[in-house]
Amino acid sequence: MNTEERALPIVIVGHVDHGKSTLIGRLLYDTQSLPPDRYAEIQKTSEMLGKRLEFAFVMDCLEEERSRGITIDTTQTFFKTPKRRYVIIDAPGHKEFLKNMITGSSQAEAALLIIDAFEGIRDQTRRHAYILSMLGFKQVCVLLNKIDLVHYSKEKFSDLKNQVYHFLKQLNIHPTFILPISAIQGDNIAHPSIKISWFDGPTVLQALDTFEELKIEEKPLRFPIQDIYMMDGKKILVGRIEAGHIKKGESVYLLPGKKKVEVKKIEKFLENDVTIANFEESIGIYLKGRHRVKRGQILTTDLFPTISDKIKANIFWMDPMGYHAGEALLFRCVTQEVPCRIKKINRKFDPASMELTEEDASSINGAEVADVLIQLDEKVVVDPFNEIPEMGRFVLEKEGRPVAGGIIPLAG
Amino acid sequence: MKLFSKKIKKALIIGIDGVPYSLLNTYIKNDIMPNLKKILSQGFTLHQMNASIPDISSVSWTSFNTGVNPGEHGIYGFTDLKPSSYSLYFPNSKDIQTPTFWEILGKTNQKASTLSQKYYHKIGRPYRSIIFNVPHTYPALPMNGILVSGFVAIDLRKATFPESAYPYLHSINYLIDVEAEKAKDDKVAFMKNLFECFEIRKKAISHFFEEDSWDLFFACITETDRLHHFFYDASKDEKNPYYESFIRFYVELDKFIKILYDGFAKISQENGFFMILSDHGFAPIKQEVYINHFLKEKGLLVLKEEGEFYEKIGDQTKAFNLDPCRIYIHDKGAYPRGKVRREERTEVLREIQQVLQTLKGENGEEVIDKIYKKEEIYHGPHTGSAPDLVCLPKDGYDLKGTLEKKEIFGQNIFTGMHTWHDAFCILPSKIHLLEKQPIEHQIDYVLQYFAQ
Amino acid sequence: MDHLSRLENKSIYIIREAYYQFKDIAMLWSVGKDSTTLLWLCRKAFFGHIPFPIIHIDTSYKFPEMYQFRDERAKEWNLNLLIGRNEEKLKEGMGPGRGSKLDCCNELKTNALKGIIKKYRLKAILLGIRRDEHGIRAKERYFSPRDSQFKWDYENQPAELWDQYQSTIEEEEHFRIHPILHFTEFDVWSYVQREELPIVPLYFSKNGKRFRSIGCVPCCSPIDSKAQTIDEIVEEIRVSKTSERSGRAQDKENVYTMQKLRALGYM
Repeated sequence: MNTEERALPIVIVGHVDHGKSTLIGRLLYDTQSLPPDRYAEIQKTSEMLGKRLEFAFVMDCLEEERSRGITIDTTQTFFKTPKRRYVIIDAPGHKEFLKNMITGSSQAEAALLIIDAFEGIRDQTRRHAYILSMLGFKQVCVLLNKIDLVHYSKEKFSDLKNQVYHFLKQLNIHPTFILPISAIQGDNIAHPSIKISWFDGPTVLQALDTFEELKIEEKPLRFPIQDIYMMDGKKILVGRIEAGHIKKGESVYLLPGKKKVEVKKIEKFLENDVTIANFEESIGIYLKGRHRVKRGQILTTDLFPTISDKIKANIFWMDPMGYHAGEALLFRCVTQEVPCRIKKINRKFDPASMELTEEDASSINGAEVADVLIQLDEKVVVDPFNEIPEMGRFVLEKEGRPVAGGIIPLAG
Repeated sequence: MKLFSKKIKKALIIGIDGVPYSLLNTYIKNDIMPNLKKILSQGFTLHQMNASIPDISSVSWTSFNTGVNPGEHGIYGFTDLKPSSYSLYFPNSKDIQTPTFWEILGKTNQKASTLSQKYYHKIGRPYRSIIFNVPHTYPALPMNGILVSGFVAIDLRKATFPESAYPYLHSINYLIDVEAEKAKDDKVAFMKNLFECFEIRKKAISHFFEEDSWDLFFACITETDRLHHFFYDASKDEKNPYYESFIRFYVELDKFIKILYDGFAKISQENGFFMILSDHGFAPIKQEVYINHFLKEKGLLVLKEEGEFYEKIGDQTKAFNLDPCRIYIHDKGAYPRGKVRREERTEVLREIQQVLQTLKGENGEEVIDKIYKKEEIYHGPHTGSAPDLVCLPKDGYDLKGTLEKKEIFGQNIFTGMHTWHDAFCILPSKIHLLEKQPIEHQIDYVLQYFAQ
Repeated sequence: MDHLSRLENKSIYIIREAYYQFKDIAMLWSVGKDSTTLLWLCRKAFFGHIPFPIIHIDTSYKFPEMYQFRDERAKEWNLNLLIGRNEEKLKEGMGPGRGSKLDCCNELKTNALKGIIKKYRLKAILLGIRRDEHGIRAKERYFSPRDSQFKWDYENQPAELWDQYQSTIEEEEHFRIHPILHFTEFDVWSYVQREELPIVPLYFSKNGKRFRSIGCVPCCSPIDSKAQTIDEIVEEIRVSKTSERSGRAQDKENVYTMQKLRALGYM
């Protein structure tokens, strides 16, 4: 029986030159998590820990990246501590690849924000922290890297630590720890370092082990219909439970129409008499009676979701080509796909400077964040992101390409 | 007219693969190389130098290029085994764990080493280099300048950075290497091919030297190594049918060195840095020595019937050898069939050293000159993957890593073998060397020059 | 939910999404353990009735055990099996003896697949590729566009945000979908173990050797192993550290390098 623990997904963000790749290499190396024959391609197995090692190429296996020295895309890499397994979703920092970075961040449950102790907070640092905050990351650990370049100075560390603390507070991020490290030298990653003897906090590995797996609280049912198949002349609704659970015989609402229906049978291949299905399960459902059903409808046990063709949202524009209010887009949230337009751009915000750039704008530029009102061609079903994240986040597409990601804020 | 009082910094490095100090000294004294003699009289000194251990081109040039020992750069030979397996692979430029000096000068290094850390803040601005035909730089990795890889390289496109340098090389039918396979069948044709290759090499070097801009120019002549492998017996023997060709090669080499040196003197206006070096020496072969067969006879190596190359290693094996003489203990845990436990290692090492010392060649002379344990000669993060023992032979006995042979000694078509102790370097006389240097120390003088 | 179930449910979601987005879809089955796992997941997704064809690209050099296994499963699971072969090249005698190994794979595998895609006007293919297989594969996405020349434009990867998989394609492009991208090798074996899936017997040890990955006879080498059952394999992998493609010999450069070194007295 496979008893492999689920790996806790984490993302490492921060400015492109602040040492993320080196940190990742160091994490893999210090936990003996590099598969041995990868070494042959990238580096040899070693018994001694080297003083000055760069692992930038552990993660970068694409030729282009080597020539440009930046990580283009996301990669999943696993490492382990005695406590559990982790999977790093490496998020690059270059401005041009913001959309890839968003993709990386979106699956992680905790984040490490890396800041160069010598350089301090840069624009990219701010932008990434803002996005972490928007995506709802509660578990963030800050690493002040290259502490060797500031001669392991306690004063310099404390100064920057305070700056970082205040800056993150504005974003409503409360970091679990702010740690001094040197990825290239190996200080305080897996082992404490005598050079930082004045620091009595944890190592990076110890800090990671304090992260908690996201608890799955009992939420109300959200089952978006993904498709309809015909089996033996009957319609079977297939989809994935995005929140809550569903029981055989239960009475549920079919939204957006608000029709009441009964769950006749829950279907799973080769399983008989399934009485309940839970969060994250992909299943089939037979409803009692005949109903007009289609992809995009949602089964729920309550009527609290917002059902509307006008929704307020916070969006971050990823596409380098900006947007002009009124242009046609496609709204995609779970299995809902509805044409829409951004009708009003209430406020635009530059996360790099943390400043408001415009109220009541007529356009949005690449890498900008905005508060908007979206007008859709049909009613959609959404929940606030902070309550049911799967129903509170969406993608906007233009001509088949994702151009923006968005969040439904709490009402009010 | 110069408006700025800034000093121009220019460096020229000429590498000549496999040229021994002793031979060069003889040729200079005997006026076979009058131009080099003249250069030496103008403020340069010829020194004998130690190659890397082992003394193979891929290791030695890498030690020179990175300025560190194999314990840091991680290259121990042309071949190596993948970790935890018996699979052979061929380390290439991507496997070098530390930056080369042109990456340090050009400020494009992604990796770090003791050398790069030393010069990190001292190199004021990026310097542009042309690195031509230097062995073990394939595939060509992006850098600040132009790089054309030396052997072993299969694809000229992949051996060239940037792509824009390729069309010229293609147009002159540039050859990365002579076809050594030909030497077996037709020595005369091979010698001809050698000279042809050398002509194209000189043409290409001159082209980039004159047409392109650079702060540092490093070109290697590799034909000498090929010449020596097959014709070293002709180097001092006037009666040998290839003696004239051998000498002629050195005469042409001498002329080419003058061309580059004079061109350099003009460009650098007497302020440049000039050096010439080789990566190892050569000596006439008496016999090849098949170390693995020797280990077999002593019961230390046990081979299976099936398997390719090192897949043949049986579980009763205590140690095995890779080219030329890199001995690895068949550790439990390190190799799939390894059975030597930690506690047994010391004893096994001692046993191997002991039997090696009993190895006697013709007339009962000793074959092995030096035996080193890895910790004695390697320092750095990759010492773990180093061979447990490395042997250097007495001149004349070419140690081999083949598993195929059924005797300890044998002959082959080669007449020359590498030596460790007899490489050379020519440096400005103002650099005083107190003792014989290893090759990895030489690049420091170049970096110092750019750091002033 | 336990780890394997989580992986399984995610895969089923992706398979159903792919079917919805592209109706003209097919699954590539190499008869190996990864694609057989994918096949099983497709059966689960469609409750035993897979509504699209299953393609086997046959180079004609596969192990006989593979052909037997393929035909047995096709019958048992009622599969719409399509066999793709580059008949033209096979007639010409293309094989691993002719040309380099890269050429052979190109003609007999890649071009055979291109032929099928064109013939059936397929818009997307489901493949059993895992992220941990090889460094470069780690960059693959769940929905990956390939242009008609089979190049993978890894720079212009579409963003994959919150399970919204991109699905608009230009003419001549086809999509590759990787529903088991998030399975590791160990996960696949564990899943095979849990579901008691049938597997080609070549994976089990015979005379002290078994195959870690299977393909064409001339290009696959077995590894040393005593594992004769799935449980033993799972245990062996738990301990093992070598990665999967070590048996496949496709490196043209290695051959050249070896030749060169030999000529100079090395090796």
